[in-house]
Amino acid sequence: MPTSSLLRHVPAVLGMTVWCAVVLSAPAWGAEPVAPSGMPTEVRVERVRPKHEKYFTLRFLKANRDFIRARLDLLREEPGKSLADAAALDPRFLAYRELMQSALAGVDSVQASEDMRQRRELFASVTELGQLESQLDQLELLLAAQRTRLTALQADFTGHQRTELAVVARGLPADATMLSLTLTLEDGAPVIVTLTDAQRQSLREGGVLELFHGLIEPRDQVIALTLTGSRWPGGDSGFVSIAPARDRLTFLQLDFSRLQPEQGATSLRASTWLLETVAGLTDGAGAQP
Amino acid sequence: MDVHALKGWTARVTRGCCMGAILLVLAISPVSARDLAAFAARSGLDVAHAAAKVWAEDAVLVYVENDESVVGSGRSVRWGYLFFSPASQRSRAYSIREGRVIEAEDLSMDFVAPPVSAHWIDSESALAAADEKVGREFREKHGGVIGTMLLARGVFSDGSPDQTNWVLIYTSPGNPSLFVVVDATEGKVRRTWRG
Repeated sequence: MPTSSLLRHVPAVLGMTVWCAVVLSAPAWGAEPVAPSGMPTEVRVERVRPKHEKYFTLRFLKANRDFIRARLDLLREEPGKSLADAAALDPRFLAYRELMQSALAGVDSVQASEDMRQRRELFASVTELGQLESQLDQLELLLAAQRTRLTALQADFTGHQRTELAVVARGLPADATMLSLTLTLEDGAPVIVTLTDAQRQSLREGGVLELFHGLIEPRDQVIALTLTGSRWPGGDSGFVSIAPARDRLTFLQLDFSRLQPEQGATSLRASTWLLETVAGLTDGAGAQP
Repeated sequence: MDVHALKGWTARVTRGCCMGAILLVLAISPVSARDLAAFAARSGLDVAHAAAKVWAEDAVLVYVENDESVVGSGRSVRWGYLFFSPASQRSRAYSIREGRVIEAEDLSMDFVAPPVSAHWIDSESALAAADEKVGREFREKHGGVIGTMLLARGVFSDGSPDQTNWVLIYTSPGNPSLFVVVDATEGKVRRTWRG
Protein backbone atom coordinates (compact mmCIF):
# COMPACT_ATOMS: atom_id res chain seq x y z
CA MET A 1 0.00 0.00 0.00
CA PRO A 2 1.49 3.36 -0.93
CA THR A 3 2.36 5.79 1.84
CA SER A 4 -0.16 8.36 0.62
CA SER A 5 -2.94 5.79 0.95
CA LEU A 6 -1.91 4.98 4.50
CA LEU A 7 -1.83 8.64 5.36
CA ARG A 8 -5.41 9.00 4.16
CA HIS A 9 -6.56 6.70 7.01
CA VAL A 10 -4.73 8.61 9.73
CA PRO A 11 -7.56 11.12 10.36
CA ALA A 12 -10.16 8.36 10.68
CA VAL A 13 -8.04 6.38 13.13
CA LEU A 14 -7.23 9.55 15.01
CA GLY A 15 -10.91 10.50 15.26
CA MET A 16 -11.90 7.05 16.46
CA THR A 17 -9.15 7.03 19.07
CA VAL A 18 -10.00 10.46 20.45
CA TRP A 19 -13.72 9.63 20.55
CA CYS A 20 -13.11 6.36 22.37
CA ALA A 21 -10.78 8.03 24.86
CA VAL A 22 -13.34 10.71 25.65
CA VAL A 23 -16.20 8.25 26.11
CA LEU A 24 -14.23 5.69 28.08
CA SER A 25 -12.90 8.32 30.44
CA ALA A 26 -16.45 9.48 31.23
CA PRO A 27 -18.33 7.95 34.18
CA ALA A 28 -20.26 4.75 33.47
CA TRP A 29 -23.73 5.38 32.07
CA GLY A 30 -26.47 5.11 34.62
CA ALA A 31 -24.05 4.37 37.41
CA GLU A 32 -24.89 5.55 40.89
CA PRO A 33 -22.68 8.29 42.21
CA VAL A 34 -20.09 6.56 44.29
CA ALA A 35 -18.34 8.41 47.05
CA PRO A 36 -14.93 6.89 47.59
CA SER A 37 -13.71 6.99 51.13
CA GLY A 38 -13.04 10.53 52.17
CA MET A 39 -13.64 12.02 48.72
CA PRO A 40 -16.80 14.13 48.48
CA THR A 41 -19.04 13.59 45.49
CA GLU A 42 -21.49 16.23 44.40
CA VAL A 43 -25.12 15.11 44.36
CA ARG A 44 -28.00 16.98 42.78
CA VAL A 45 -30.97 18.28 44.66
CA GLU A 46 -33.95 17.55 42.44
CA ARG A 47 -37.23 19.40 42.40
CA VAL A 48 -39.24 16.24 41.73
CA ARG A 49 -38.76 12.99 43.63
CA PRO A 50 -36.74 10.65 41.39
CA LYS A 51 -38.67 7.63 40.16
CA HIS A 52 -37.70 4.34 41.70
CA GLU A 53 -38.37 1.14 39.80
CA LYS A 54 -40.70 -1.02 41.83
CA TYR A 55 -39.73 -4.67 42.26
CA PHE A 56 -42.30 -7.18 43.40
CA THR A 57 -41.28 -9.34 46.30
CA LEU A 58 -42.66 -12.35 48.18
CA ARG A 59 -45.33 -13.03 45.57
CA PHE A 60 -46.29 -16.48 46.83
CA LEU A 61 -46.68 -15.23 50.38
CA LYS A 62 -48.90 -12.35 49.31
CA ALA A 63 -50.97 -14.52 46.98
CA ASN A 64 -51.53 -17.14 49.68
CA ARG A 65 -51.49 -14.98 52.75
CA ASP A 66 -54.83 -16.15 54.11
CA PHE A 67 -53.79 -19.78 53.92
CA ILE A 68 -50.38 -19.17 55.46
CA ARG A 69 -51.77 -16.99 58.23
CA ALA A 70 -54.35 -19.64 59.02
CA ARG A 71 -51.60 -22.22 59.30
CA LEU A 72 -49.60 -19.94 61.58
CA ASP A 73 -52.64 -19.28 63.74
CA LEU A 74 -52.83 -22.99 64.47
CA LEU A 75 -49.32 -22.86 65.88
CA ARG A 76 -49.99 -20.03 68.28
CA GLU A 77 -50.63 -20.83 71.91
CA GLU A 78 -53.11 -18.58 73.65
CA PRO A 79 -52.19 -18.07 77.33
CA GLY A 80 -55.04 -18.28 79.80
CA LYS A 81 -53.99 -15.18 81.62
CA SER A 82 -51.85 -12.24 80.78
CA LEU A 83 -48.18 -12.55 81.46
CA ALA A 84 -45.90 -9.91 82.84
CA ASP A 85 -43.81 -8.15 80.24
CA ALA A 86 -40.18 -8.99 80.44
CA ALA A 87 -37.57 -8.06 77.92
CA ALA A 88 -34.77 -10.48 77.28
CA LEU A 89 -31.49 -9.41 78.81
CA ASP A 90 -28.61 -8.97 76.47
CA PRO A 91 -26.16 -11.75 77.45
CA ARG A 92 -23.28 -9.34 76.95
CA PHE A 93 -24.39 -7.24 79.89
CA LEU A 94 -24.43 -10.30 82.12
CA ALA A 95 -20.97 -11.09 80.88
CA TYR A 96 -19.71 -7.61 81.80
CA ARG A 97 -20.90 -8.09 85.35
CA GLU A 98 -19.19 -11.44 85.61
CA LEU A 99 -16.01 -9.99 84.20
CA MET A 100 -16.13 -7.15 86.71
CA GLN A 101 -16.76 -9.57 89.59
CA SER A 102 -13.87 -11.78 88.60
CA ALA A 103 -11.66 -8.73 88.27
CA LEU A 104 -12.70 -7.37 91.68
CA ALA A 105 -12.28 -10.77 93.31
CA GLY A 106 -8.59 -10.28 92.96
CA VAL A 107 -8.70 -6.90 94.71
CA ASP A 108 -9.39 -8.35 98.17
CA SER A 109 -6.52 -10.75 97.84
CA VAL A 110 -4.22 -7.97 96.80
CA GLN A 111 -5.38 -5.80 99.73
CA ALA A 112 -4.75 -8.57 102.24
CA SER A 113 -1.32 -9.14 100.84
CA GLU A 114 -0.63 -5.44 101.05
CA ASP A 115 -1.55 -5.33 104.78
CA MET A 116 0.73 -8.18 105.48
CA ARG A 117 3.46 -6.48 103.59
CA GLN A 118 3.10 -3.30 105.65
CA ARG A 119 3.48 -5.20 108.91
CA ARG A 120 6.89 -6.29 107.92
CA GLU A 121 9.50 -3.60 107.90
CA LEU A 122 12.25 -5.37 106.08
CA PHE A 123 12.51 -8.10 103.57
CA ALA A 124 14.90 -10.17 105.56
CA SER A 125 14.79 -13.42 103.75
CA VAL A 126 14.50 -15.00 100.35
CA THR A 127 11.08 -16.32 101.42
CA GLU A 128 9.74 -12.80 101.79
CA LEU A 129 11.06 -11.89 98.39
CA GLY A 130 9.16 -14.87 97.06
CA GLN A 131 5.99 -13.57 98.69
CA LEU A 132 6.52 -10.21 97.03
CA GLU A 133 6.85 -11.92 93.72
CA SER A 134 3.60 -13.71 94.39
CA GLN A 135 1.90 -10.39 95.11
CA LEU A 136 3.18 -9.00 91.85
CA ASP A 137 1.77 -12.03 90.08
CA GLN A 138 -1.58 -11.34 91.66
CA LEU A 139 -1.44 -7.74 90.49
CA GLU A 140 -0.66 -8.93 87.00
CA LEU A 141 -3.63 -11.27 87.09
CA LEU A 142 -5.81 -8.39 88.20
CA LEU A 143 -4.57 -6.24 85.36
CA ALA A 144 -5.13 -9.05 82.89
CA ALA A 145 -8.72 -9.48 84.08
CA GLN A 146 -9.38 -5.76 83.71
CA ARG A 147 -7.80 -5.81 80.26
CA THR A 148 -10.10 -8.65 79.23
CA ARG A 149 -13.11 -6.69 80.43
CA LEU A 150 -12.05 -3.55 78.61
CA THR A 151 -11.38 -5.53 75.44
CA ALA A 152 -14.89 -6.97 75.57
CA LEU A 153 -16.36 -3.51 76.08
CA GLN A 154 -14.32 -2.06 73.25
CA ALA A 155 -15.23 -4.85 70.86
CA ASP A 156 -18.92 -4.46 71.56
CA PHE A 157 -19.20 -0.71 71.53
CA THR A 158 -16.49 0.68 69.31
CA GLY A 159 -15.43 -2.10 66.99
CA HIS A 160 -18.40 -2.45 64.67
CA GLN A 161 -19.44 0.32 62.36
CA ARG A 162 -23.07 -0.02 61.35
CA THR A 163 -24.73 1.56 58.36
CA GLU A 164 -25.23 5.16 59.41
CA LEU A 165 -25.96 8.50 57.85
CA ALA A 166 -24.80 11.85 59.14
CA VAL A 167 -26.31 14.94 57.56
CA VAL A 168 -24.37 18.13 58.20
CA ALA A 169 -24.97 21.70 57.12
CA ARG A 170 -22.64 24.57 56.49
CA GLY A 171 -22.94 28.14 55.30
CA LEU A 172 -25.93 30.46 55.23
CA PRO A 173 -27.61 32.17 52.30
CA ALA A 174 -26.79 35.84 51.95
CA ASP A 175 -30.24 36.92 50.83
CA ALA A 176 -32.51 34.92 53.06
CA THR A 177 -32.94 33.87 56.64
CA MET A 178 -33.07 30.15 57.24
CA LEU A 179 -35.50 29.11 59.92
CA SER A 180 -35.66 25.36 59.74
CA LEU A 181 -34.91 22.31 57.67
CA THR A 182 -36.96 19.13 57.54
CA LEU A 183 -35.33 15.84 56.50
CA THR A 184 -37.46 12.86 55.62
CA LEU A 185 -35.82 9.53 54.98
CA GLU A 186 -37.65 6.91 52.93
CA ASP A 187 -40.10 5.06 55.15
CA GLY A 188 -39.04 7.30 58.01
CA ALA A 189 -40.54 10.03 60.11
CA PRO A 190 -39.61 13.65 59.30
CA VAL A 191 -36.76 15.14 61.29
CA ILE A 192 -37.32 18.85 61.83
CA VAL A 193 -34.31 20.95 62.74
CA THR A 194 -35.13 24.47 63.81
CA LEU A 195 -32.12 26.74 63.65
CA THR A 196 -31.40 28.85 66.68
CA ASP A 197 -29.70 32.24 66.54
CA ALA A 198 -26.52 30.68 67.91
CA GLN A 199 -26.55 27.99 65.24
CA ARG A 200 -27.12 30.56 62.51
CA GLN A 201 -24.24 32.59 63.87
CA SER A 202 -22.04 29.51 63.92
CA LEU A 203 -22.91 28.66 60.33
CA ARG A 204 -22.26 32.25 59.31
CA GLU A 205 -18.79 32.02 60.83
CA GLY A 206 -17.92 28.80 59.00
CA GLY A 207 -19.15 26.28 61.50
CA VAL A 208 -20.70 22.94 60.65
CA LEU A 209 -24.01 21.84 62.12
CA GLU A 210 -25.07 18.22 62.48
CA LEU A 211 -28.67 17.92 61.39
CA PHE A 212 -29.10 14.17 61.64
CA HIS A 213 -27.05 11.19 62.67
CA GLY A 214 -28.62 7.76 62.76
CA LEU A 215 -28.94 4.31 61.30
CA ILE A 216 -30.05 3.98 57.72
CA GLU A 217 -30.85 0.99 55.55
CA PRO A 218 -28.03 0.16 53.12
CA ARG A 219 -29.93 0.74 49.87
CA ASP A 220 -30.50 3.43 47.28
CA GLN A 221 -32.96 5.90 48.63
CA VAL A 222 -34.24 9.42 48.34
CA ILE A 223 -34.14 12.00 51.12
CA ALA A 224 -36.70 14.76 51.02
CA LEU A 225 -35.51 18.20 52.17
CA THR A 226 -37.83 21.06 53.03
CA LEU A 227 -36.48 24.51 53.78
CA THR A 228 -38.38 27.18 55.58
CA GLY A 229 -37.20 30.72 55.92
CA SER A 230 -37.95 34.33 55.23
CA ARG A 231 -38.13 33.67 51.49
CA TRP A 232 -39.92 30.34 51.76
CA PRO A 233 -42.53 30.78 54.48
CA GLY A 234 -44.54 27.87 53.16
CA GLY A 235 -41.49 25.68 52.73
CA ASP A 236 -39.55 24.71 49.63
CA SER A 237 -38.73 21.09 48.89
CA GLY A 238 -36.04 19.15 47.06
CA PHE A 239 -34.93 15.54 46.85
CA VAL A 240 -31.47 14.01 47.14
CA SER A 241 -30.61 10.46 46.08
CA ILE A 242 -28.05 8.65 48.17
CA ALA A 243 -26.70 5.10 48.30
CA PRO A 244 -25.42 4.43 51.83
CA ALA A 245 -22.75 1.76 51.89
CA ARG A 246 -23.31 -1.17 54.22
CA ASP A 247 -21.54 -0.96 57.58
CA ARG A 248 -20.10 2.45 56.77
CA LEU A 249 -20.80 5.97 57.93
CA THR A 250 -22.02 8.08 55.03
CA PHE A 251 -21.89 11.83 55.26
CA LEU A 252 -24.28 14.11 53.39
CA GLN A 253 -23.28 17.76 53.47
CA LEU A 254 -25.71 20.52 52.59
CA ASP A 255 -24.10 23.82 51.77
CA PHE A 256 -26.53 26.71 52.20
CA SER A 257 -24.07 29.43 51.28
CA ARG A 258 -25.02 29.49 47.58
CA LEU A 259 -28.71 29.05 48.14
CA GLN A 260 -30.66 31.18 45.67
CA PRO A 261 -33.95 32.45 47.11
CA GLU A 262 -35.67 32.15 43.74
CA GLN A 263 -34.55 28.59 43.10
CA GLY A 264 -34.98 27.44 46.68
CA ALA A 265 -33.94 23.95 47.73
CA THR A 266 -32.73 22.92 44.29
CA SER A 267 -29.92 25.45 44.50
CA LEU A 268 -28.51 23.75 47.58
CA ARG A 269 -25.08 22.30 47.02
CA ALA A 270 -25.00 18.77 48.33
CA SER A 271 -22.13 16.34 48.51
CA THR A 272 -21.61 12.93 50.02
CA TRP A 273 -18.65 10.89 51.18
CA LEU A 274 -17.78 7.93 53.36
CA LEU A 275 -15.90 7.99 56.61
CA GLU A 276 -12.58 6.37 55.83
CA THR A 277 -12.06 3.99 58.70
CA VAL A 278 -13.05 3.42 62.27
CA ALA A 279 -9.46 4.19 63.20
CA GLY A 280 -10.01 7.64 61.75
CA LEU A 281 -12.57 8.27 64.45
CA THR A 282 -10.31 7.37 67.28
CA ASP A 283 -7.30 9.37 66.28
CA GLY A 284 -9.28 12.43 65.36
CA ALA A 285 -8.25 12.21 61.73
CA GLY A 286 -11.73 12.01 60.30
CA ALA A 287 -12.26 12.11 56.61
CA GLN A 288 -14.19 15.33 56.38
CA PRO A 289 -12.79 17.34 53.52
CA MET B 1 -4.12 22.40 2.91
CA ASP B 2 -6.71 23.37 0.29
CA VAL B 3 -10.46 23.40 0.90
CA HIS B 4 -11.08 20.00 -0.72
CA ALA B 5 -8.34 18.35 1.26
CA LEU B 6 -9.72 19.87 4.46
CA LYS B 7 -13.22 18.60 3.68
CA GLY B 8 -11.89 15.14 3.00
CA TRP B 9 -9.94 15.16 6.21
CA THR B 10 -13.00 16.27 8.20
CA ALA B 11 -15.13 13.59 6.58
CA ARG B 12 -12.64 10.91 7.50
CA VAL B 13 -12.44 12.12 11.12
CA THR B 14 -16.25 11.99 11.25
CA ARG B 15 -16.28 8.47 9.84
CA GLY B 16 -13.70 7.48 12.42
CA CYS B 17 -15.84 8.84 15.22
CA CYS B 18 -18.87 6.96 13.90
CA MET B 19 -16.92 3.72 13.74
CA GLY B 20 -15.70 4.32 17.26
CA ALA B 21 -19.25 4.83 18.43
CA ILE B 22 -20.41 1.62 16.81
CA LEU B 23 -17.52 -0.35 18.32
CA LEU B 24 -18.25 1.08 21.74
CA VAL B 25 -21.92 0.20 21.54
CA LEU B 26 -20.99 -3.33 20.56
CA ALA B 27 -18.52 -3.53 23.41
CA ILE B 28 -20.87 -2.13 26.04
CA SER B 29 -24.09 -3.92 25.15
CA PRO B 30 -23.04 -7.35 26.44
CA VAL B 31 -22.33 -5.68 29.80
CA SER B 32 -25.60 -3.80 30.11
CA ALA B 33 -27.64 -6.77 28.89
CA ARG B 34 -25.61 -9.32 30.78
CA ASP B 35 -27.25 -11.94 32.90
CA LEU B 36 -27.50 -10.99 36.52
CA ALA B 37 -25.72 -13.36 38.86
CA ALA B 38 -27.93 -15.96 40.48
CA PHE B 39 -27.10 -16.96 44.04
CA ALA B 40 -28.25 -19.34 46.74
CA ALA B 41 -30.62 -18.01 49.39
CA ARG B 42 -28.12 -17.86 52.22
CA SER B 43 -25.77 -15.61 50.26
CA GLY B 44 -28.16 -12.69 50.48
CA LEU B 45 -29.02 -13.13 54.12
CA ASP B 46 -26.22 -10.99 55.54
CA VAL B 47 -27.22 -7.95 53.53
CA ALA B 48 -30.89 -8.38 54.35
CA HIS B 49 -30.10 -8.91 58.00
CA ALA B 50 -27.97 -5.76 58.13
CA ALA B 51 -30.84 -3.74 56.70
CA ALA B 52 -33.38 -5.34 59.00
CA LYS B 53 -31.34 -4.52 62.08
CA VAL B 54 -31.51 -0.88 61.10
CA TRP B 55 -35.27 -1.12 60.82
CA ALA B 56 -35.73 -2.97 64.15
CA GLU B 57 -33.11 -4.11 66.61
CA ASP B 58 -35.16 -7.18 67.48
CA ALA B 59 -35.88 -8.17 63.87
CA VAL B 60 -35.86 -11.91 63.22
CA LEU B 61 -35.99 -13.75 59.91
CA VAL B 62 -39.33 -15.48 59.45
CA TYR B 63 -39.62 -16.22 55.75
CA VAL B 64 -37.56 -16.51 52.55
CA GLU B 65 -38.83 -16.82 48.99
CA ASN B 66 -37.37 -16.58 45.51
CA ASP B 67 -38.32 -13.25 43.91
CA GLU B 68 -37.18 -14.35 40.46
CA SER B 69 -37.18 -17.75 38.81
CA VAL B 70 -35.17 -20.52 40.40
CA VAL B 71 -32.42 -21.51 38.03
CA GLY B 72 -29.79 -24.21 37.89
CA SER B 73 -29.22 -26.02 41.10
CA GLY B 74 -31.38 -23.85 43.35
CA ARG B 75 -30.26 -20.30 42.75
CA SER B 76 -32.15 -17.17 41.88
CA VAL B 77 -31.20 -13.70 40.71
CA ARG B 78 -33.28 -12.21 43.50
CA TRP B 79 -34.44 -13.50 46.87
CA GLY B 80 -36.92 -11.94 49.25
CA TYR B 81 -36.41 -12.03 53.02
CA LEU B 82 -39.14 -11.23 55.51
CA PHE B 83 -38.33 -10.06 59.02
CA PHE B 84 -40.62 -9.69 61.98
CA SER B 85 -40.20 -7.38 64.94
CA PRO B 86 -41.83 -8.82 68.09
CA ALA B 87 -41.64 -5.44 69.80
CA SER B 88 -43.51 -3.53 67.13
CA GLN B 89 -45.46 -6.51 65.76
CA ARG B 90 -44.60 -5.38 62.25
CA SER B 91 -43.00 -7.12 59.29
CA ARG B 92 -40.65 -5.78 56.66
CA ALA B 93 -39.42 -7.42 53.47
CA TYR B 94 -36.09 -6.92 51.71
CA SER B 95 -35.39 -8.03 48.17
CA ILE B 96 -31.71 -8.71 47.49
CA ARG B 97 -30.02 -8.78 44.10
CA GLU B 98 -26.28 -8.93 43.52
CA GLY B 99 -25.52 -8.23 47.15
CA ARG B 100 -27.67 -5.11 47.34
CA VAL B 101 -31.04 -4.26 48.79
CA ILE B 102 -33.06 -3.20 45.78
CA GLU B 103 -36.48 -3.17 47.40
CA ALA B 104 -37.67 -2.70 50.94
CA GLU B 105 -41.27 -2.60 51.98
CA ASP B 106 -43.44 -2.98 55.02
CA LEU B 107 -45.76 -5.92 54.76
CA SER B 108 -49.25 -4.53 54.58
CA MET B 109 -50.79 -7.30 56.61
CA ASP B 110 -50.53 -8.77 60.05
CA PHE B 111 -48.09 -11.62 59.87
CA VAL B 112 -47.03 -12.86 63.26
CA ALA B 113 -44.67 -15.67 62.35
CA PRO B 114 -42.07 -17.54 64.39
CA PRO B 115 -38.41 -17.10 63.45
CA VAL B 116 -36.83 -19.73 61.29
CA SER B 117 -34.16 -21.80 63.01
CA ALA B 118 -30.65 -20.43 63.02
CA HIS B 119 -29.31 -23.35 61.02
CA TRP B 120 -30.99 -24.17 57.75
CA ILE B 121 -29.70 -25.80 54.62
CA ASP B 122 -29.24 -23.61 51.62
CA SER B 123 -31.61 -23.56 48.67
CA GLU B 124 -29.28 -25.68 46.56
CA SER B 125 -29.24 -28.51 49.08
CA ALA B 126 -33.01 -28.31 49.49
CA LEU B 127 -33.58 -28.54 45.75
CA ALA B 128 -31.14 -31.43 45.44
CA ALA B 129 -33.01 -33.35 48.15
CA ALA B 130 -36.41 -32.67 46.58
CA ASP B 131 -35.18 -33.51 43.09
CA GLU B 132 -33.71 -36.77 44.21
CA LYS B 133 -36.88 -37.88 45.93
CA VAL B 134 -39.64 -36.85 43.52
CA GLY B 135 -38.81 -33.62 41.74
CA ARG B 136 -36.64 -34.95 38.95
CA GLU B 137 -39.24 -37.55 38.00
CA PHE B 138 -41.96 -34.88 37.98
CA ARG B 139 -39.88 -32.64 35.76
CA GLU B 140 -39.11 -35.39 33.29
CA LYS B 141 -42.57 -36.89 33.22
CA HIS B 142 -44.59 -33.66 33.05
CA GLY B 143 -42.11 -31.14 31.72
CA GLY B 144 -42.30 -29.39 35.05
CA VAL B 145 -40.20 -26.61 36.48
CA ILE B 146 -39.48 -25.44 39.98
CA GLY B 147 -41.73 -22.43 40.45
CA THR B 148 -41.38 -21.43 44.08
CA MET B 149 -39.01 -22.14 46.92
CA LEU B 150 -39.88 -20.81 50.33
CA LEU B 151 -38.44 -21.20 53.79
CA ALA B 152 -40.69 -20.92 56.83
CA ARG B 153 -41.17 -22.44 60.20
CA GLY B 154 -44.19 -24.49 61.10
CA VAL B 155 -46.37 -23.54 58.16
CA PHE B 156 -46.29 -26.86 56.30
CA SER B 157 -45.24 -29.21 59.08
CA ASP B 158 -48.20 -30.89 60.70
CA GLY B 159 -47.25 -32.30 64.04
CA SER B 160 -43.86 -30.55 64.14
CA PRO B 161 -44.62 -26.87 64.60
CA ASP B 162 -41.03 -26.03 65.48
CA GLN B 163 -39.66 -27.47 62.30
CA THR B 164 -38.18 -25.07 59.75
CA ASN B 165 -38.88 -26.29 56.26
CA TRP B 166 -38.11 -25.54 52.69
CA VAL B 167 -41.23 -25.90 50.61
CA LEU B 168 -40.65 -26.46 46.90
CA ILE B 169 -43.48 -26.13 44.44
CA TYR B 170 -42.99 -27.71 41.04
CA THR B 171 -45.39 -26.58 38.36
CA SER B 172 -46.37 -28.09 35.03
CA PRO B 173 -48.89 -26.77 32.50
CA GLY B 174 -52.12 -28.71 32.70
CA ASN B 175 -51.05 -30.74 35.72
CA PRO B 176 -51.50 -30.31 39.45
CA SER B 177 -48.45 -28.79 41.11
CA LEU B 178 -46.11 -30.90 43.16
CA PHE B 179 -45.39 -29.74 46.70
CA VAL B 180 -42.31 -31.04 48.46
CA VAL B 181 -41.51 -30.25 52.08
CA VAL B 182 -37.84 -30.59 52.97
CA ASP B 183 -36.68 -30.45 56.58
CA ALA B 184 -34.38 -27.43 56.50
CA THR B 185 -32.29 -28.73 59.37
CA GLU B 186 -31.65 -32.29 58.27
CA GLY B 187 -32.19 -31.98 54.53
CA LYS B 188 -34.71 -34.82 54.35
CA VAL B 189 -37.96 -34.81 52.42
CA ARG B 190 -40.82 -34.93 54.94
CA ARG B 191 -43.93 -34.64 52.80
CA THR B 192 -45.03 -34.53 49.20
CA TRP B 193 -48.43 -33.96 47.69
CA ARG B 194 -50.07 -32.83 44.49
CA GLY B 195 -52.46 -29.95 44.41
